[in-house]
Amino acid sequence: MLLLLEALSARQQQWRHGYDLMKETGLLSGTLYPLLMRMTDQGLVEAEWHAPSQPGRPARHAYRLTAAGMALAHAVAEDEGGGTFRTALA
Amino acid sequence: MRAAVARGVMALAIACLGRCRQQWGLAMQGEFEAAAEEGKPLIFAFGCLFAAVREMPTHEEGRFVLTNYVFALGLMMPMATLQIGCALLGFPYLYPGQDGLRGAMAAGGVQESLLRGVYQAAVPSLSVLLLLLGIGHLRIAWVMLEGDWSRVTAIGTRTMAAAATLVIFMAALFLDGSQAVLQTAVLALELAILSLLARWHAQLFPSPSSEELAR
Repeated sequence: MLLLLEALSARQQQWRHGYDLMKETGLLSGTLYPLLMRMTDQGLVEAEWHAPSQPGRPARHAYRLTAAGMALAHAVAEDEGGGTFRTALA
Repeated sequence: MRAAVARGVMALAIACLGRCRQQWGLAMQGEFEAAAEEGKPLIFAFGCLFAAVREMPTHEEGRFVLTNYVFALGLMMPMATLQIGCALLGFPYLYPGQDGLRGAMAAGGVQESLLRGVYQAAVPSLSVLLLLLGIGHLRIAWVMLEGDWSRVTAIGTRTMAAAATLVIFMAALFLDGSQAVLQTAVLALELAILSLLARWHAQLFPSPSSEELAR
């Protein structure tokens, strides 16, 4: 979850796709999606549908942190030494 | 071939997620295309299936499906195997001494010599009845997993009638009916569980009202 929080908090306002998050965090889909579901259920992540970039492709679900998610990300970073997420997680 | 397997696994994952997580199933489907483009559809699809199976116990629809499979594979299938096996192997339990009808027809006691002809005549009917019971179990399990509860009731009633006929038939032939009675009791228990599952299914997926159908 910390890896996902870090990835999502790195670009706070940007909507991120699931496969991009997998590549960035190194998490497999079997780990990423349960985390996204839990975090969305808990109001830490919001999701919305984005129109496909190419015709004939399915719409894609995109995610970003909510205010509560951002607050949690900051709290975790501070608890782990007040630095950035990368130093906190190291 | 690999792509086809991956698509099959994805379809299974989406089905496992059920209606309450349908949006997440579609989200996975959308990302599956991106994974396929990068040549990793299979690992992505299996990951989604793993996630979907892990999600199943957390929602009622998933618990319902899991219960159905446990019931079908844990009770219905073993009962069907036992009954079909007994019919094909010559009723090892239906006659004292565990020798089945073969033992009943063996030369020996007075009873055997008197009843041999009757037992020989009864063998086809008993075999057919026991096969019907086994096949009935298989059909009930299959139709239950398809969610066709009206057919479950119809096949269950017919299977119960076959079980009752078998017990009556055996009693008339003075055969040891204790195992058949036990199997009929298990069948009655199964039908009771099936009626509870049907009620659970009706709560989860209420049928549309006549007004809704008219619209």
